[in-house]
Amino acid sequence: MPNYELIQQDGLETSLLEVSMGPHHPSTHGVFRMDVKLDGETVVDLKPVFGYLHRNHEKLAEAMSYLASMPFTDRLDYFNSMTNNWAYALAAEQLIEIEIPERAEYLRVIMSELTRLVNHVSLVGFFVNDLGALGTPLLYAFREREKILDLFEQASGARMMCNYFRFGGLRCDVPEGWLDRTREVVDRFPKFLDEYEKLLCENEIILSRTQGVGNLSKELAINAGITGPMLRASGVNYDIRKVDNYGIYDRFKFRVPYSKGKVGDCYDRFMVRMLEMRESIEILKQALDGIEAGPIMGNAGKVFKPAKAEAYGRVEAPKGELGFYLVADGTTQPYRYRVRPPSFINLTVLQDMCIGQQVADAVIILGSIDIVLGEVDR
Amino acid sequence: MSLLGGGIFKGMAVTLRNFVGSYFDKERLTTKEYAWRTDDKLPERAGDYPKEEAEQLSDTTTVTHYSRNFPMLLHDEGEPMDTVRCVACQICERECPPQCIYIEKSKDKMERGGNKAQFYPATFDIDVSVCMSCQICVEVCPFDAIVMNSQFELSTPDRFGGLLLRRDDLLKSNDYYHKIHPEEAAARDKRIADEKAAKEAKKKAAEEAKKKAAEAKAKAEAEAKAKEEAESAEKPAEAPAPTHTDAKKEDNGE
Amino acid sequence: MNWELIGDILLATVPLLVIFPSMFALTTWVERKALARIQNRIGPNKVGVPLTPYGGNLSLFGLGQPAADGIKMLFKENIVPTGADRLFHLLAPILSLIPAMLVLCFLPLEFPWLNGEQNSVKAFMLDGAVIFFFAITGLNTLAVFMAGWASRNKYSLLGGMRAIAQMVSYEIPLVLSAVVVVMIVGSLNAAEIAEAQAGWNWYVFQPWGLAAFVIFFIAALAETNRSPFDLPEAESEIIAGYFTEYSGFKFALFFLGEYIAMFAISGLAVTLFLGAGGGPGVEALPWLKVIWFLAKVCILIGVMIWLRGTLPRLRVDQLMGFAWKFLLPLSILNIFIAGFAWHAKKANEGTAVSVIVWVAALIILYAAAKGLDHVNRAKVKPRTYQYGE
Repeated sequence: MPNYELIQQDGLETSLLEVSMGPHHPSTHGVFRMDVKLDGETVVDLKPVFGYLHRNHEKLAEAMSYLASMPFTDRLDYFNSMTNNWAYALAAEQLIEIEIPERAEYLRVIMSELTRLVNHVSLVGFFVNDLGALGTPLLYAFREREKILDLFEQASGARMMCNYFRFGGLRCDVPEGWLDRTREVVDRFPKFLDEYEKLLCENEIILSRTQGVGNLSKELAINAGITGPMLRASGVNYDIRKVDNYGIYDRFKFRVPYSKGKVGDCYDRFMVRMLEMRESIEILKQALDGIEAGPIMGNAGKVFKPAKAEAYGRVEAPKGELGFYLVADGTTQPYRYRVRPPSFINLTVLQDMCIGQQVADAVIILGSIDIVLGEVDR
Repeated sequence: MSLLGGGIFKGMAVTLRNFVGSYFDKERLTTKEYAWRTDDKLPERAGDYPKEEAEQLSDTTTVTHYSRNFPMLLHDEGEPMDTVRCVACQICERECPPQCIYIEKSKDKMERGGNKAQFYPATFDIDVSVCMSCQICVEVCPFDAIVMNSQFELSTPDRFGGLLLRRDDLLKSNDYYHKIHPEEAAARDKRIADEKAAKEAKKKAAEEAKKKAAEAKAKAEAEAKAKEEAESAEKPAEAPAPTHTDAKKEDNGE
Repeated sequence: MNWELIGDILLATVPLLVIFPSMFALTTWVERKALARIQNRIGPNKVGVPLTPYGGNLSLFGLGQPAADGIKMLFKENIVPTGADRLFHLLAPILSLIPAMLVLCFLPLEFPWLNGEQNSVKAFMLDGAVIFFFAITGLNTLAVFMAGWASRNKYSLLGGMRAIAQMVSYEIPLVLSAVVVVMIVGSLNAAEIAEAQAGWNWYVFQPWGLAAFVIFFIAALAETNRSPFDLPEAESEIIAGYFTEYSGFKFALFFLGEYIAMFAISGLAVTLFLGAGGGPGVEALPWLKVIWFLAKVCILIGVMIWLRGTLPRLRVDQLMGFAWKFLLPLSILNIFIAGFAWHAKKANEGTAVSVIVWVAALIILYAAAKGLDHVNRAKVKPRTYQYGE
């Protein structure tokens, strides 16, 4: 806690200003509350309060069949339903012997990288919106996001709640011409990124607002279990796509951008995401070149009834490590179902990053963590 | 940074280009104007809002054929309730993640399309306000009786009754399904036909095998009987064995 | 009763009361439309003139939107929070509008029906118009803090505090950059300043004038709470700042006051630096002066909208640092440069000298700005990143 001294004077009562930011606040990204104590504009204490969006996801899943939880995973991080599906499918596929066809693996990678584009591009938009840019970058981002959501809709029938992955493959094959349309979107995306970088990356106001704000040291990041772009922004080279090589990620050539310093600030978090999008485009191009025709579902049975076992499946979701831990007891319902949500664990360092900063910084630090309350509260 | 405020000017150049570009390049536009009705007329009063089914259909054809919004019950050609495919097995009710389906099995059985008489749904309600369009019911249905509709404007002034769709609202013909999701419907029909053909072929094969077996058995029995008869000619004959197999065959034939 | 005087007053004031509020209405539409286009949206395009009560609509690119907004504002419920200071809560929006409207009188708008003989016009042609302008706009700070305090809301209070700090700080570079022009012209009278710039002798074409104009414009943005200095109403941080608790017509008054202040300060910028009503064809057709004046105001407003669509917001400490550590030294330096340039020109007539003075002044100013920028934010620069295979 930083040193602060209240002005003490006879006949003058002074105290800290306590502001409850949220749960209804324009930039808490959902129903999240920060109980902030302010000395002037400086944050001297911050208490995150959440749980307003708790939906009992884990307990509900224990009372329904394995398949029936799949649509609910969409609603965890509603920006990235495809990677949520994948993490759950990955965990469930470890419970039984199952073979995933080649085409399904390729489509899984394509969907997941498209999701990463969607998430990062709109996160940057939201982040700059928190900086006060009146939505211009956000709307550019949403235009591109819309194109990718159209692709999702064509493939899965829904724009956000895709519910597309199944144990052992995918629900349905992509329609005819979908791959060509995807290639078109992917080819045009760098042009948009150029414009986006021109608009944001050199802007003096953004630079001075974000640099040196919300410092997160390498040690604290590792100790707190931070994952994803936020960890890489603090200078740790860790990406589950590289570490686990789940799916067929070992077939693609891509690089993982991370910060040179030992301390990550909001600017690093913002830039790491910008650079990651370029790498996702590289993966997408390789995947679109490599994909071949074939079946979409493996040898999965109609009823999913694993033997007694436990499994942990994790993926590099756009926000960090998303894991599902399942304990099977031999019935059609999981005995224990647990989600390791990246946004929740990344949120734990909010207080450490915010203390001593300004109110305006608290807002952008929260924005740079990239939380979705559906995932934090579950 | 070569110039003071260079980044800001660059950004301003980008926004200026977008400002001008949005007038000439339709690709740049974030939003498309939503045509309310075919003649581009705004609804005049609140009651006008939900579109007619035909109008929505013209919208959904521009949407992809996987579009899903809300389940419907399929029936084949003919009177809806005479040809409804649902047999009220209640699997979808059990599997539905948000538990929005409510089925009541009929007391009596009903024969449909030359198949064995089966139960039918006496009540089949879906609560629109709860349904989350996940399509799990479609996937678990063993009878291809429930599929997704792409009708999307379900708003209604009646908050409770209007949002609970009854069996008769949900019944849609297979032709309608073909209209909204042509490829999916064709694939589904083909699969049903294939399965039926395969089943029939199997049944035929099984029947023939059974017939053969029965014949062989009858023959063997006849032989055995003849032998028996030859052995003890004074003993009266038992009930004939082939009748038994015939009855069994009939039972299987359904 | 002096009917003549009343007639004079009406002649001078009614056009202002008609032109600027209607420009306000139009500007809200233009702003929404322009921001929409900057963001690649379409913007308001449905509301127009209803032809019949039962439908049929002349949409006219959504030009009916300001009227619809106004009607909406009028019909909205007026909510005053429990425990708020009701009197000051009511007075604040009124107090924010009055000074903004008042200073419009001092703009040298030469309406063709005023010939300088009317008493009211004489009253407005104050010798200390520029000083009066700053004195009266300074009242706006009071209104903003009144609103922030009377709302009994922590966000409002934060917004009010921010507004006071910001407006008081930025008033200094604002005044100092205006001083340059006053110094050169030798008069505080708006009409005389306008006259001194007749025939393309706009001060913005002088190096010191350009610098002063840029400083003035930036400070004006801060003075009127426009992006990137819209901290008192920073939406993403403190909801809506000092008008968080305002609704209905009180909010509309605040809104109107803010826009009128924008017009007023742009009008002053036009008067001081952009040659007031000067422009092509004013010698032949004197009534063009009003048109040119308003057109220049509109261009400045357009730039404000453009900035709003592009830039994020500064932080409080950076905002204050920018005023005190960057704009203030630069504007003081600019006063000296203007003085030297004026004397150099007076001593040596000739193109060569004026060119040298011009270039030297520009170089000094640019170097000073660059140096100050380096001192203030040397650490802030783009970074590079490494890649893991």
